[in-house]
Amino acid sequence: MTGWLLRRIAQAIATFAVAAVLMFVLMRLAPGDPLARMQEDRPMSGEEVARLRTIYGLDQPIHRQFAAFAQGVLRADLGVSIEHGRPVTTLLASRIGPTLLLGGAAILLNFTLGLWLGVRQAVRHGSREDRALTVLSLAGYATPSFWLGLVLAWLVGIELGWLPVAGMRDPLLPRDATWLAHAVDIGRHLVLPALTLSIVTIAGTMRYQRSALLEVLRLPYIGTAKAKGVPDRTVVWRHAWRNALFPVITLFGLWLPLLVTGSVFVEMVFAWPGLGSLAANAASGRDYPLVMGAALLAAGMVVTASLMTDLTYALLDPRVRYT
Amino acid sequence: MLWTARLVLAAVFAGVCAARPPLALAQRESSSIVIVTGQQAAVPIPTLMEGPQNALANEEIADHLFLRLAGVGPDLVTAGDRGFVPLLARSWSRRDSVTIAFELDPRARWHDGAPVTSRDVLFTYARARDRTIAPRLAHATRRIATVSAEGERRVVFRFTQVYSEQLYDATFHVAILPAHLLASLPPTDSAWSPFAASPVGNGPYRWVRRVEGEFIELAANRDFFLGRPGIERVIVRVAANTDARINLLLAGEADAIDNIPPPTTNLARVAAAPHLRLVPVPSNLLGYLLFNQREPGHPDRPHPILSDRDVRRALILALDRDVLVRALLGPHGYVPFGPVSSQLWIRHGAPASARQDLSTARRLLAGRGWVDRDADGIRENRTGARLSLHLLVSNSSLVRTQMAAIIQQQLRQVGVDIQQTRVEAPVWLERRSAGNFDIDFSSANQDPSPSGLVFSWACGGPGNVGKYCDPAADSLLHQAIASPGADRRLWHSYLRRVEESAPAAFIYTQTFVFGVHRRFRDVTIRPHSSWSALWRWPAPGS
Amino acid sequence: MADPLVRAWRDPRGRAGALMLAAIASAAAVGPMLLPDPLAQPCVLTCRNLAPSLAHPFGTDELSRDILSRVAWGGRISLSVAFLAVGLSVTLGAATGLAAGYWGGPVDAGLMRLVDAALAVPRLFLLLLVLAVWEQVPVAMLILLIGATGWFGTGRLVRGEVLRLREESYVRAAEALGARRGRVIFRHLLPNTAGPLLVAATLGVGDVILLEAGLSFLGLGVQPPTPSWGAMIFEARSVLVAAPWAGIFPGLALIATVLSANLFGDALRDAVDPRGA
Repeated sequence: MTGWLLRRIAQAIATFAVAAVLMFVLMRLAPGDPLARMQEDRPMSGEEVARLRTIYGLDQPIHRQFAAFAQGVLRADLGVSIEHGRPVTTLLASRIGPTLLLGGAAILLNFTLGLWLGVRQAVRHGSREDRALTVLSLAGYATPSFWLGLVLAWLVGIELGWLPVAGMRDPLLPRDATWLAHAVDIGRHLVLPALTLSIVTIAGTMRYQRSALLEVLRLPYIGTAKAKGVPDRTVVWRHAWRNALFPVITLFGLWLPLLVTGSVFVEMVFAWPGLGSLAANAASGRDYPLVMGAALLAAGMVVTASLMTDLTYALLDPRVRYT
Repeated sequence: MLWTARLVLAAVFAGVCAARPPLALAQRESSSIVIVTGQQAAVPIPTLMEGPQNALANEEIADHLFLRLAGVGPDLVTAGDRGFVPLLARSWSRRDSVTIAFELDPRARWHDGAPVTSRDVLFTYARARDRTIAPRLAHATRRIATVSAEGERRVVFRFTQVYSEQLYDATFHVAILPAHLLASLPPTDSAWSPFAASPVGNGPYRWVRRVEGEFIELAANRDFFLGRPGIERVIVRVAANTDARINLLLAGEADAIDNIPPPTTNLARVAAAPHLRLVPVPSNLLGYLLFNQREPGHPDRPHPILSDRDVRRALILALDRDVLVRALLGPHGYVPFGPVSSQLWIRHGAPASARQDLSTARRLLAGRGWVDRDADGIRENRTGARLSLHLLVSNSSLVRTQMAAIIQQQLRQVGVDIQQTRVEAPVWLERRSAGNFDIDFSSANQDPSPSGLVFSWACGGPGNVGKYCDPAADSLLHQAIASPGADRRLWHSYLRRVEESAPAAFIYTQTFVFGVHRRFRDVTIRPHSSWSALWRWPAPGS
Repeated sequence: MADPLVRAWRDPRGRAGALMLAAIASAAAVGPMLLPDPLAQPCVLTCRNLAPSLAHPFGTDELSRDILSRVAWGGRISLSVAFLAVGLSVTLGAATGLAAGYWGGPVDAGLMRLVDAALAVPRLFLLLLVLAVWEQVPVAMLILLIGATGWFGTGRLVRGEVLRLREESYVRAAEALGARRGRVIFRHLLPNTAGPLLVAATLGVGDVILLEAGLSFLGLGVQPPTPSWGAMIFEARSVLVAAPWAGIFPGLALIATVLSANLFGDALRDAVDPRGA
C-alpha cells in the first residue's frame, strides 16, 4: 500500500507538470493578443505596443517564455498580471478566500441534501415523490446558473428586499463593527449565490446516488438481510449505502476542484470577488500570467482530488487491488 | 430528528434574511455615496496610467485624488486659452505665442500637509515627458519644449511651435504628483510601491483603502483648498457583470452607476424606479463600420470590392442609421457627421449625415457592375463573384453585436450579403490590426481634442487600419489643427471631405446616461472625468 | 436477453420519454418550414420585446424576431449537437473507463493520468486552439470537439464502478469459469456500469446545449444570427425582467429535452439491468 501510494504521488506530480506545459503551450497558441483589451476603445501606436511586448516578454520565443515562467514557478513567483498591474500571487491570494467560502457552502449543501434525497428516491423508487424529485432536480439542472441567479437576485433581492443582490459585503459597514456583524453581513451575501450553485448542480449528486443505490439494493445480499428481519433503515444505510458510494466519491472528486476554480457564472452574476470570475476575465483578455497562475492552482486541485479519490476507494473497499 | 434539523435550518435562513445590519442602514442616510462601476482601479496614479493601466477606472479614481493645473471648461472647447477653469493653478498668462506662465494656488496642500510647489510640477512633467516611463503621455505632450520654475509658485511652459491647443496640452494630460514622496523612488517600481498601495494626492478626496475585487473607499479632504466636499465618503464598488450593476442600483445597494449599460430596457427600469434619476452626459464614444481598402491577407493589393468609393457610398446609403441608433440607444444616441463623438466641440454646426436612400444605393451598385444575375437576392459582378462581405464584430459590446444583426438585414435589401464573424475582443483586435477583415465594426473612445483624428484617419496614421488615405483631406486636417483659436468651419470642411470619400460608415455616438439616487441634489457629472465635480455636490439633507 | 431498447419502449416512462423526444425533434425538423423566417426583423423599432400573442405565440425578441420560429430553428442545431456530441463522449468515456478498470495496473495508471491531465487543463484552452486554426468552425467539427473534450469525467466514473465490480463474486466466478475476456466485459461489466453511464449521458445533454452557446459566444460555434437554444438563453439574460419570454421558451425547450432524455434513460437503465427489475 505504501509503495502504491508513493508511486501514485509521483504520478500525480508528473501529471501536474505535463498539464502545466500543455496549458502554457495551448494558451500561447490560442489566437488573441494580451495587449488587445486595453486597445479596444483606446488604440495604441505600434511603437507603444512593441515596448509593452518587451516589458511582458511577449517578444521572446515560446521556449524562452516557458523557461522564464518555469523558473518563476519554482521560486513561487507567477509574474505580474498584465491587466491588474500587480503580482499574480497577491491577486490569487486575495481571491481564493471568497471562492473557498462559496464553493464550500455550495458543495456542503449539495452533498448533504443531494445524498439524502438521492437515497430517499432510490428507496421509494417509482413512487410519486421519486418522480417529483426527479423532475424538480432536473429542471434545476437544466436551468443555466446565470439565469437562475438573476431570477433569484431579482425576486429575493429587488422585489422582496430580503437579501443583498450582489457582492460579498456591505461596503458601508464600518470596519470596527463586531465580528458577528461582519459574519452576518457576509452570510447574508452568501445565501443567494450558494443557493443558486447548489440548485443547478444538485441533480448530479441525486441522480448518481439514486442510480448507484438502486443497483446495490437489487443485489442478493440485501434481500438476504431483509429476509433475516433487519430493519429497512439499517439495511439501506448500513449495508447498501456503503457499497453505493463509489460513484458518489468519484463525483465528489470531480467537483472538489470547484472549490478553487469557482463557478464563473454565479460569481459574475453576483459580483462575488472570487477566483472564477477573475480567471475567466483573465482568459478572455489573454492575461497570460494571471491565466497561468489560476490554471496552475486549479490543475493542482484536480490532481490532488483524483489522488484522494483513489485513496478513498482503497480505504473503502480493501479488495480493490492496486498493482 | 429530521424535523428538528429542518426547523433549525429554516430558523437560520429566516434569521439571516431578517438580520439587516442596522449600522449600515444608518450610514446610508448620511453623506456617503456608493458608485458602482465595471472595473476596479489598479494603479490610479498620473504618469503610471500607461499601457494596460490606461483605463477609465484608473482615471476616475485619480480624478478624486489628484488635480490638474487647470480643467477643460463646461463647453468642452480644447482650442485657445479661454475655455479653461483654474484648479491647481490660480491663474495663467501668456508671455508670447509659445510661452504660458502658471501661478500656483498658494493654498494648495498635499494630503500629508506639505504645500504644492513648482517643484512638484517640474517633477511630474519630467516623468510625463520621459518616453521610457510614459510613452503615451510623452507623445501627447511632445510639443512642450521646456517646463521651468520661477520661484516656489510659478511654472513656465514653452512650446515648440504656435498652435491652438497649447493650454490644453499643458493641463489636460497629466495631474500633478507629489515630488517629496516620489522623487526618491525609481519610476518603474512605483506601481508596486507603498505609494501606489495608498496614494497621497492633493484633490478633494483622500485614499482610505482598497478591498481587492470589491471596492475602493475614499474620504473627504476636509481641508481642500477649493472648498470642503459636501459628501464625506465615496465608495467605488466593482461589479464586472452589467446585470449585477443594474441589480445593485435598483436594490438600493449602490447610489449611482457610471453609465447604464444597454439594452434600452435597462434605462426604462432605472427610469421607473422612484428613487433614481437619469443624468445624461455627452460621451466620447464613436461606433463605425470601417471599410478595408486593402484585400484581407494581401495588404499590398486594393480590396476587390471595397476599394471602389461608389460601392462604399452605396453601402452607407443602404443603411438606415437612424433605426440602428434608435433601436439600441433610444433617444440617447445620434448619427455623427464624420468621425466625431458627441463630446468633441467641433460637432456643433456640422451638417446632418446622409439619410437612407435605397434607390441611390441600388443605382450606384448597378453602375459599378453589381447586378443580381442569378436572381438569388445577392448581386454579382461580371465575373460572377458575389457581393459578399465579412463583418468582424467583437462580442464585448451588446450595442455593436445587436446592430450587426440589423445591418445584415438592411444590406440584404440592396442585394449585399453580410457574413458576421463574432469573436472575443483579443481575437477581434488581432484580426483587425492585421487587416484581416472586409468590414470591421470599430469603436473608439476619442480624445477631447479633435487633433486626435490624425491617429486613425490620416495617411499612415498609426491607428489607420483601414488604410484610408486622402492627401487632400489630410491637408485640410492639418490646416484645422494649426489654426489658432477655435475655428469650427475649418474642421467642418475636413469632415465633409471625409464623408465624401467614405472610408467608413459612421454609425453612432451617444449620450452616456448615469443613474443617481434622488437624495443627491445639484448633481453635476462631467463629460470627461465624470466624477471630478462630485466634491461640489451638496451633502444630502443639508 | 431481449433487446433493451424494446424493453425500454414497453416501460411507460421510456415510452413517454421517447415520444416527447420524437415530438421535440420533429418540431425542430418540420417547424421551420411552416413558420416565419427566424431572421426577419419586420419592425425593429415598433415590435420589439412583444409579449406572447396569437401572431407571435412565444413573443418577439430585442430585434422583433419571432421567438417561436427561432426556438424551432434553434432546435436543429442544439439537438443535433447535443445528442451526437454526448453519444461520442459517452462512448469514449465508457471505453476508457472499462479498459482502465478491467486491465488495471499500468493501463489504468496511464489512462487515468491522461484523464487527470485532461481534466486539469481547462476545456476552454483546448477549444480556443481551434479558433487559431479555423476562422469559421463547421458544425460537424464542433460536435467532434465537444464530444472529444467531454468524456474525461465519465471515464473516471465508469472506471470507479469497474474497479468495484471486478471484485464482485459473479465477475470472479465468470472469470474462474474461463469466460472469454470480451464476454466478461460486455456481458458483466458494461451492463452494470449502465447506471452512471446513462446518468452521465442524460445530464450531458443539457450541459452540451449550454456549452454550445458559450462557444458560439467565443466565435467557435454557430455564428449569429443563426439561432440556437443556448445562444437565445444567453442573449435573453439582459431582458430577464423586461421580456422574460425571450429566455423562458428556449429554456423550457431545453428542460423538456433534458427531462425526456432522463425518462428514457431511466427506463433504459432498468432494461439493461442483467438481474431484471
